Amino acid sequence: MPYDSFMTNLLNNNYHNDYHNKNNIHFSTTTTCLPILQIMLSLSAAIDGRSKTTKGVYMQRRDFLKFSTLGLAGSVTGLGTFLSWSPRANAATIDQTFYITDGMRTQADGIDVWFQAYSSTSTGLDYPAQSMIVQEGDTVNITIHNTLGTTHSFVIDGLVDSGDIPGGTSTTVSFLAGSAGSYLFYDRVNLPYNRLTGLHGGLAIMPKNSSNEIYAGSPTFKQQLFWLYNDIDPAWHDAIRQGRTPTSKFKPRYFHINGISARPPGSTNYTDPTKNAFYDPRSQISGKIGDRTLLRVLNAGMCVHSMHWHGNHLEWITRNGQPRAQIWKKDVIALENNMGKVDVIYPFEPPPDAWPPVTSGQQYVMHLHDEMTQTAGGGLYQFGAATLIKFK
Amino acid sequence: MGGACYVYPDSPATPDRVTPDVTFERTIYMNGSVRMDDGRNITVWGFTDSGGGMGGMGGMGGPFPSPAIRVREGQIVHTVLNNPGMMWLHTIHHHGIEPSTMNDGVGHTSFDVQGTYTYQWRAAHAGTYFYHCHTNTVLHAEMGMYGALIVDPPEGPGRVFSGGPSYDVEAIWACDEFDSRWHNLPWDAATCGGDAGLNDLNPDYFIITGVDGNRSALTAPGVAVTMNRGQTLLVRYINAGYYPQRIRFGGLTGQVVSSDGRPLPAPVTVSEINSVSAERYDVIFNPDSSGVYTVEIEYLDWIDGSVLGMARTRITVN
Repeated sequence: MPYDSFMTNLLNNNYHNDYHNKNNIHFSTTTTCLPILQIMLSLSAAIDGRSKTTKGVYMQRRDFLKFSTLGLAGSVTGLGTFLSWSPRANAATIDQTFYITDGMRTQADGIDVWFQAYSSTSTGLDYPAQSMIVQEGDTVNITIHNTLGTTHSFVIDGLVDSGDIPGGTSTTVSFLAGSAGSYLFYDRVNLPYNRLTGLHGGLAIMPKNSSNEIYAGSPTFKQQLFWLYNDIDPAWHDAIRQGRTPTSKFKPRYFHINGISARPPGSTNYTDPTKNAFYDPRSQISGKIGDRTLLRVLNAGMCVHSMHWHGNHLEWITRNGQPRAQIWKKDVIALENNMGKVDVIYPFEPPPDAWPPVTSGQQYVMHLHDEMTQTAGGGLYQFGAATLIKFK
Repeated sequence: MGGACYVYPDSPATPDRVTPDVTFERTIYMNGSVRMDDGRNITVWGFTDSGGGMGGMGGMGGPFPSPAIRVREGQIVHTVLNNPGMMWLHTIHHHGIEPSTMNDGVGHTSFDVQGTYTYQWRAAHAGTYFYHCHTNTVLHAEMGMYGALIVDPPEGPGRVFSGGPSYDVEAIWACDEFDSRWHNLPWDAATCGGDAGLNDLNPDYFIITGVDGNRSALTAPGVAVTMNRGQTLLVRYINAGYYPQRIRFGGLTGQVVSSDGRPLPAPVTVSEINSVSAERYDVIFNPDSSGVYTVEIEYLDWIDGSVLGMARTRITVN
């Protein structure tokens, strides 16, 4: 809303305090926001479609979606806001299918930018991919259908490397889920270009028999989220779309958390959780006192970032996959670029400096403090990489 | 004044207002100036101490950085922001302090101050913080709208935190970079859209606590440190810029005892520290030999890590 409209309203005594209403802006259900995490336990034979096929063939074949879900030994579906997880006593076989797709995404300033992604359907554009949670010792089978005309791959450093997946072909990779922790899966072809333009996602390996640890013996959490950061230079995306190697200096103009940026009150799509990172259930931190929230933070982008949380200090548990020798309490935590990662816990303690004390009904921001990231297209402050922290 | 978007002007009464233990008054200046070592004057904005009066419309410039807020752990604090007129909007966010939403100073979760608002909070943890404007933050913090915020333990200055180390000499180094091209923009630049280049910081000045780090900070009073052997120095290092920094202590070895207003579980011995925007590190030095130690802060590109510039100051041990 333009400032002078605010002023007019103020002078007419019609000004309405937006912040008084903001506590009411939320999403009452979690199931409508996002499709469920499409990981299923398969006790039957592995899915059809492992052989390399052409795009035209497998796009007509829906039978690979017919998994057996009988005899589930544990729950690995994530519904909406927080990814749920129930530990299992025994290892399982996890099957997941991704389609490498592409398409345009409209940015906060109206500019369309091309992305490619590991999508859950052949017609979708899941940038970033839907996150996966498995357990140490599980066998993970990932089938990738490359619907594009270009070569791609599926890599998790230290776990699996598909090698080249030529355009129009499919492949299945299998790996044993190793050390518990947070991992980025990504396309290593034309590194870093395919990763930057969207081919990435998050994988968590939970410790055996644990629903609340990052690694065995780690500080515990009650709920968990993946935060995938990315920095977007549309000139680079355009070059990559056209099959060219970018030659310009990388100058990001959009900054994403889980594929979208934030929008402030009064903006178009403010309440749309698919457009506003404030209300994206993949990103928003929401809880009551004691709802310790693990954030698995993965940086797919090219920029080093400074993450800053309001309301609580964080417990900084891991850096780049390694447990830290000391757990520090910080309001700012560094996120290294090019696949840097941290695991941190937002403790949901009463905000320590409030007077009088408060325990609920508060909302705070998480934003990057390298404030260039809080813009879109060179302006539009508050349309950058930020989300909301809600004390219910 | 028209043309600003996504701002939320208001001046409500402070909820649950109580009598504070300490009050700070701040008003706005938008026409400050810092003289750089090359002779250029760069426009800065900031807060002045308006205690005793309402302050003006920002006609007289002001100090850069803004005057420190220094309190003791346990005190209930009022920070009064006077922003009279309808010229511009600002807030105060006490960075690292975690008050209620209404007192957090973030426009889009509460309001931007037009008129007067009294931020009420209680200092829970001793340590090094800073305060800054959180309206069109990308520009306003770059323009210099920040100051140190120190919470001393209940016993007062001289100890970092209760049960922590004591110190004899204190330095507050807020290390910042300027892109002088940004310093001619209006307060509401590009808030409605358009490309003001606010995604692209190309710094050309590198600053320690308001002083050009090219040359002046080597000797500037209040920045450069002079101490005696046997004394203990506390450096409160604040990354007040946007880019990563690396601070080297000129050959001295120190102990990081706390960061972001929280004691570390155990001190960490360092000769240099890498930081990102808004981190704070409290470092204790007990130099055992006299000498002049040149401290270097390198400002690093956020993409390739290359050194964009350097600021320097000195620790002289007699």
